Parts: sequence; C-alpha cells; structure tokens
Amino acid sequence: MFYHISLEHEILLHPQYFGPQLLEKVKTKLYTEVEGTCTGKYGFVIAVTTIDNIGAGLILPGQGFVVYPVKYKAIVFRPFKGEVLDAVVRQVNKVGMFAEIGPLSCFISHHSIPAEMEFCPNVNPQCYKTKDEDVVIHAEGEIRLKIVGTRVDATGIFAIGTLMDDYLGLISN
Amino acid sequence: MAEGLVLISHQFSKPIKVLKWKVREGSVISIGCVMLLFDYDGSTEAEQRKLKSTQAGTVHRLIAQEGAIVKRGDVLFELSPCIHPTVINDMCAECGADLRKDDLTTTASIPMVHSIPELKVNEELAQKLGKADGERLLRDRKLVLLVDLDQTIIHTTNDNIPPNIRDVYHFQLYGPGSPWYHTRLRPGTHTFLNNVSSMYELHICTFGARNYAHTITMLIDRDQRYFSNRILSRDECFDPTSKKANLKALFPCGDNMVCIIDDREDVWSHASNLIHVKPYHFFQHTGDINAPPGLDKHENDDKEGVDLMKVKTKHKNNKSVNREKINNVNEVDKTDNINEVDKVNIVNEVDKGDNIKEATKAENAKKVAIVNEVDEADNTNNVDKTDKVNEDVEKKGNNKDLEKKDNNEDTQNKGNNEDLEKKDHNEDTEKKDNNEDTEKKDNNEDTEKKDNNEDTEKKGNKEEVEKKDSITENNKKEPEEQVNENSKNEEEKTKENGKLENKNELTEEMKVVPDNNESQNVVEKKHDKVNRIAEKKVENMIVDDTTKKIEDEFLDVEDPDDYLLYLEDILKKIHAEFYKEYDKLESGQVPDLKQVIPNVRAHVLSGCNLVFSGLVPTHIKLINSKAYQVARSLGANITQDLQEDTTHLVAVRPGTAKVNAGRRRKNVKIVTPDWLWTCAERWEHVSEVIYPLNRRGSKNRHPPPHCSSPEHVPNYPVHDSPAMRKRTPSGRFMDTINPLMSFSSDDIADMDKEVEDMLDDDSESDDEAKRKPTLRQEVEITRKMEEDNSSSSEESLTGEYPRGFKRSRSSHKKDGAIDTEDVESSLDEFPSTKFRRGEKLDSDLDIGDSNSEGSIDPPDEIEDGEWNMMGAALEREFLSNS
Repeated sequence: MFYHISLEHEILLHPQYFGPQLLEKVKTKLYTEVEGTCTGKYGFVIAVTTIDNIGAGLILPGQGFVVYPVKYKAIVFRPFKGEVLDAVVRQVNKVGMFAEIGPLSCFISHHSIPAEMEFCPNVNPQCYKTKDEDVVIHAEGEIRLKIVGTRVDATGIFAIGTLMDDYLGLISN
Repeated sequence: MAEGLVLISHQFSKPIKVLKWKVREGSVISIGCVMLLFDYDGSTEAEQRKLKSTQAGTVHRLIAQEGAIVKRGDVLFELSPCIHPTVINDMCAECGADLRKDDLTTTASIPMVHSIPELKVNEELAQKLGKADGERLLRDRKLVLLVDLDQTIIHTTNDNIPPNIRDVYHFQLYGPGSPWYHTRLRPGTHTFLNNVSSMYELHICTFGARNYAHTITMLIDRDQRYFSNRILSRDECFDPTSKKANLKALFPCGDNMVCIIDDREDVWSHASNLIHVKPYHFFQHTGDINAPPGLDKHENDDKEGVDLMKVKTKHKNNKSVNREKINNVNEVDKTDNINEVDKVNIVNEVDKGDNIKEATKAENAKKVAIVNEVDEADNTNNVDKTDKVNEDVEKKGNNKDLEKKDNNEDTQNKGNNEDLEKKDHNEDTEKKDNNEDTEKKDNNEDTEKKDNNEDTEKKGNKEEVEKKDSITENNKKEPEEQVNENSKNEEEKTKENGKLENKNELTEEMKVVPDNNESQNVVEKKHDKVNRIAEKKVENMIVDDTTKKIEDEFLDVEDPDDYLLYLEDILKKIHAEFYKEYDKLESGQVPDLKQVIPNVRAHVLSGCNLVFSGLVPTHIKLINSKAYQVARSLGANITQDLQEDTTHLVAVRPGTAKVNAGRRRKNVKIVTPDWLWTCAERWEHVSEVIYPLNRRGSKNRHPPPHCSSPEHVPNYPVHDSPAMRKRTPSGRFMDTINPLMSFSSDDIADMDKEVEDMLDDDSESDDEAKRKPTLRQEVEITRKMEEDNSSSSEESLTGEYPRGFKRSRSSHKKDGAIDTEDVESSLDEFPSTKFRRGEKLDSDLDIGDSNSEGSIDPPDEIEDGEWNMMGAALEREFLSNS
C-alpha cells in the first residue's frame, strides 16, 4: 500500500559544502540518501515530495561535519499481508515464479498457482499455462497476486504471493 | 487422531448445506484454495457459494458429507497444517509463515533451481519435481547435458589483447575501472549449441562467479533459447572444488539421464558420465581463469593458443593510414636481407620531419635494454613451444620469431659501424615487438631478470645513444602525457556511451568497447608510450568517424580448433544409443547414462587388436599403463606381443623388434600413438593413414590429459590414495609446506627413479627445444655443450637428485632404452596413478616437474631462464672468439 507520510532524516554534511549553496546541497543529499531505500517500518521510500523543514545544523565537535535534521514528506510503499497487487513476472521455473512489484520481489509457489495451470518448460520462454492455452503466464507478463507473507530485513522486503483467489492471475487487457 | 491436526469448523451464523467438495483427502491446499461449494440451508434462491481455505496444509479427512447440513461450530474437515515444503528466505512459500520467528521447522533443504540457492524444497517435493522432469525428458526424447563454460566452449583472459578479433567479446563485470574480460567462443559454438539443444536440455555448470556466468550466457545465448535460466555458478556450488555435490540437488531422482561435458574431470570426481573435453585454449598464457581454488590449471599454458603477436602485426598491416613506418617494420620482420633494412631506413629518413616519430625514436633508444629483454625472453618462450608437434600455428609463429631474431641479430652485430639512424630503426623494430610482447611480460619476468646481465653487456655500445637522446626525451615528456590524458578522456566518454544495457545497443557496445580497451592499454602501460599513442590517435579518429569502419576491421583469427564438431558427434551417438536402449527396455525402466556413455566409448575401437611397441616401459605392467587403459576404454583388445589377429601396432619409433615383425605382416597397420590419442579424443576410429610410423617416430608416448579413461579410475588401489593426496596441489595445506618434508624416504627413492626414467623422454624433447637458441648461432658444437649444461641445470633446480645427472646422460645415450634395474621398486605403485598425479601437478610444486611421469608440459619458465643464461654465456663466448 502507498502512503504519503512525514518522515525525518539526518543529513551529515561535509564542511566543504559550507557556502551559499549549503541548503541546496542538503536537499539533494536528502534525495539521494532517502529515495529508493527501504525500512522495515515504512517500507520502500518511493519519492520525496516536499521538504518541510531543515532544522538547525549541529557541528560535530572534532570533525567539522554538520548534522541537519530534515523533516520531509514522501511517498512510501509498504506491502502487507493480504494485499492484492499488480506485478510483473520476472522468472518462471518448476518450483514457482518470481514477480516484481516495483522494488518488491515476490515468489509464488507452484502450489499457490491454480492447479489447472501447468508448468511448460519446453516452450521458450518457459511458462505456466492452462491446457487450452487460454491463460499463459511467462516472464515479462503482468499478473495480479495476493501477498500471503512478507520478510522484512535490513536490505529490503521479500514477499510470498498467491494466485489462488478470485480475480487473481494474468491481467488481460 | 494424529497429532497436530486442525479441525476446520463451520463459522457462518446460518447452517449450510454442503453441495460439493472441491478437494480430496490428501490433497495439498494453500490459502485461498476453494474447499467446497455450499449453499445456505433453507435459502430461497439456489446459489452456489465457495468456501475458501484460510490455512495452508494437507486435507487429512473430510468429515462433512456432501449433501449434509452443517450447523455453526460443526467440523467440516481435518487439516494437517502446512509442513512448509517450499521455503524461500526462511519463509514458507505456501503459507507465508516466518520460519525464523515462529520457531517452526522445515524439511526443505534442496535448492532445486540453479540460480536461486535460497529457494529450497523438501525431499518429497524434489522427488516429485525431479520425476516430472525425467518423464518430460523421456517424452521429448531428450537428455540432460551439463555444459562447462571455461575452456570447454569459451576461453577467457584478463590479458591485454588486440581489440578487434572476431568472436571475442569484451566486458567488465564490476563496473568501470574493474578488470576487462575478453572471451573467445570456441569455433562453432553456436552451431554446436543449436544442434545439441534438440537432443539435450542444456544446463550451464561453471565455476565462474554468478555474474560472470550470466554475462557469458547472455553473450552466447541472448534470447535464452538454449540455457533458459538453468545456470549453476560458483555462487551456488556447495563445494568450492567439486561440482558433483550439486547434482543431487538439481536431479533429485538420480543422474541417470545426465551427461556432462567439462575440460576437467577432477571436479566431477571422474564420473563416468563425463565426456572429458579437450580444453579450449585460445589466449596464450591464460589457463582456466575460474579454476577451483588450489587446483590451478596452467598446463599447456605456454604451448597452446593462438599467438596474438602475429595477429597484431597483421592487424597493423591492415591499417594503412599513416602507417608506412609500421609497415616497414613488418617488412623487416619478414626478411633476412640487410639490404632490405637499408631501404627501409631511407623511407624512415624521409619521414623524419614528423615530430611524433622523432619522439618515438628517442623513446626507443632509452628503452632498448628492456625491449631486448622482452624480445629475447619471448623468443625462448616460443622455442619451448615446439614440444607439441601438432600445433601448426605455433610452429609458424616460431619460425617467424626466429626470422625476426636473425634479422635483429644481423643488424646488431654490425652495430659499431652503423650510423645512428640505422640503429634507431633497428630499435624501432624491436620496439614494435615490445608492444606486441608486453602482454606476455608478466610471464617472462623471471627470464628477463636473468637476461639482464647479458643485455647490458651487449648493449654497451648503445649507451651513447641513450645519453644523447635522453635530452630530447625530457622535452617530449610533457606533450606525451597530454596525449595520454586525452585518450583517457576519450575512453571515458565512450565507456559512458557503452553503459546502456539495452539489448539492441549491446551490439554497438561490442563495437565500441574494443577501442576503449585499446586506450586502456595505453593508459595502463605508460612505457608503451609514443609509438602507441600515434596509433591511438588514428584509432580514436576512426571511432569518431564511423563505427562501421571498425567492424570492417575485425580480424578473423585462424583457429585450428574444431573439437566441437567431434563433440557434437559424440553427443549424437550417446543420445541415439540411450534411446535405442530405452526403447528396448520395458516401459518404466530407464537406462543409465553412466553405463551408456562408457559403452558408446567402448565401441570406438571394438574389434581392433592392438599391440604396443615402445609405449609402455618394461617395468610397468601392460594392464597398468595409461595407454592400455585408454585403448581398453575404447574397446580395443591389447596383447603383449603380435598375434595372428593383431590389427594395429602402435609404435613410438621404428626399428623395434615388434615393428620389424609387424612390417612383414600385411594385415597389421603400424601407427604412432597419436592415432590412439586422436581416437580417444574424438571417440571415433580415425583413419590410420594419417598417422603412419615414419623414421622420426612420435614424441607423444603419453596420452594428452583429456584422453582419459574415467571408468578405470575407481579401480585404483586404496593404498595409493594417501600418496596421491600428498602430491596433488589440491590441498591448500600443501602449498604452505615443503612437499619434500611429507615424503618418506621410499617415496623419494621412487621419485628418483621416476625422474631417471623420465629423462630419456625429456632429453628427446629438450633436444628439440634447444635447437632453437642454437640455430641463431649456427654452431653445432655449442649446441652439444648447451645440452649438457642445461640438463645439469635442470637437475640442480630441484637440488634433490645429485646423482641423477650422470645417469640421465647415460640413459640418454641409450636413447629410450629402459632401466631394468628399476623394475622391482616401482611395481608397488600403479603407474597410472603416477601418471595422473603427474598430470595434475603444477608449477607451484617444483617437485612435481621433475617427478611427473606423464608430463608433456614444457619445462618451466625457470628452466627457460636457466637455458637463457647458458645460451647467453655461450653466445658471449662465441662472439668474443670471432
């Protein structure tokens, strides 16, 4: 799910940037340091929308670095158990398939794919398809899935998905 | 009721009527799975509703019957909870349970997908999937083929190579600034993969890093037709020194449909379903860059491969723009005539106005010492390569080198009388060589050092020139550096362009990248300098102008390797044989490739009755000899002596009793061992006509390492294995200690004898190798002396066999006669074991070189150095006399 929330971040600035462009530098540094990161609590920070407040800098004694507390608003993406999302299939194999929802990668086990869909390793690209070839899911295809579990760790979030529910599966245009 | 069962009860407020169960007892359900169709009891309009599972697991028992009406709280069915058969990142892929948090356990331990080791399934599921795979393969009449990358279908180097050789891909794995990789596809790779993929499901199984493996796969299989995502790399290997361990995980139902092609059998523990491929060697001085740790593979490094020096010269020939000078150099290369050199000098004088060229000269004068070292080192290096008679290309390279050498020598001898320009030109020539040789510099460093003394003396007269030119040199330095800077910038620009990862642009990148590389060479090797930079300028211009032009300038390198054609035939045969057998068997039974493959191999020479002459030393039992095992594995019969039904006589040299007897018989074909080795390499009955025994006989008494007979390997006696372990460099422990310490005195005595036996072989090949340095002096006596000296120096290298020297000489005079006195003590150790030990031994284990019975390697670099010293000393003597 996407949220627009207020967040805080501390920017550590090297003394070489002390000058007329100082605040600009703090802003650009915020963008590069924050966008694309992932925290367990808020999920992926997609984009910083506004910078609300750059607090008073505090010079670190002995180093000369300055710490600026920055308050900003950002769009974050936090996947939840039970959430239904659209994803792009990345890889298909006999154990299941991997899909990506933007920065979030997700695995769907063979058992969580409707039983009428069979794995076909011989065709290129490999795919899951129904007998009558009505529905064919292969890499680069778009699917709708439901998240049944997430693993949140320091570097990112990994999700387990399922296609076993109404209106899940291949998104046909 | 079994423990852990969950009762799923009806939770609706109204009672429901079960219409139809959608699951059966024992079926696996996941969250969201439709369990049953129901309707509210007593509802007016008939409507089917679905009851979905909220838990994953296996249906244990259905309690509510179809048609029954179930009230709230009544049990519908029993569910045994999820046993987490598929786990990824410690999370069950079925129910999403966190296996770290909830103190849950799982049996999932088999990573079934090649490139995703964190995705694991349990044994049961693995068996099921494996079985499905097997059935599918049988249905498609396919087999599994595990393809190794390095040295099997590609060869990769980190050395600097000419940028525009066809079928060589250039890439960096770890972003800008990381080392460049240059990968050459084995000739016919695409055809091979295309043809084989119709019979085999191809998997990549390499010891390269994941990044490397995937990059290479992208290069050879861009649309994933052959390998899909079946890529197993070092990152996924369980065991850093063996690929065997992963087989069980990839093929949980057994590897009876798995065929392997690899250039090294040790990583597969000499499996019998392995086809030991002749290693592909394109770039000289580069072994397997992804060899497992401790098992470095440098055999044949210097002998095999295409001499890129030549290629470069050719390449320069092609570029005629502003290149008179370079062309002149080439002329010099090709001629022995000094008059020709004079002519060239005149041309040079005409060009003299050119600033850069002047700078070059100044630079060259300074560099002479180094240049000559490199030049000479390279020559000796090449001389050693003649060991392998079969390699035409290298021979050519050698001849050419020799010519060059002679040429340089001639002009140098005149040195004192010659004017400065002439000298400069001569140096120019060498400078050129230097450029071409710098790639090999690393390898030659040992040799260089030893050459130093000689060179400084010889070049005494040139010192004046150096002093004079050093002034000019200093003046030129600044602009020079600027040029370097420029080229750097240029390079960065092009690199950025090349960064785009788009598939369409990848081809373009390939075109651009080579020149990046060229410029990087320049940047890295500052000592290449001006000469090079002049070229660079032209090249950058070309880049700017059109990229098409560069494409035109791609070089086709003559590559004699055609092994993939034979390999394809072998694989076809195996495939046909497997399915022939499969059709014969009752349904459900599947033949095992581990038996089929040796069988196919055993058909190669079936019906042939071989006799060996001079191939097996008398103190080795015939059945223990490597040659015997190779021939047996090909299905031939081998007898000790000529018999009525003998069809082939494999003889090392003419004139033996067996050869004479064989000549009298009509039906006996007399061939060299090369015939046998070729049969073993190609798995086919090669025509005997190509390998007649002539007066020169054959040097290849020992089979090349890739002509193995894996099915014999497991039969080695157990008591030998500790000794083997001691001597192989595979144990890292070995590298840290002196190998001699771990040998018993018996062992050392044994080795002593092996060395002595070896030396009649060695002295033959030494002979050949040494002819080259002496040729340039054209003094026959010198050669004799040198021979003696070097064989003694070889001895003194190890320092362990003071007595070996004399004995070796005496055995040399006997010319291959066998020391019968050694028979007894050598019997207790299998010679084939020794052979394998020898084969695997490395330069880092110096005991191995003098010890290796089966070694067909050239003497080491160190020995080159020794020889050079000797040669240099003799040369000095000779020069001072005349």
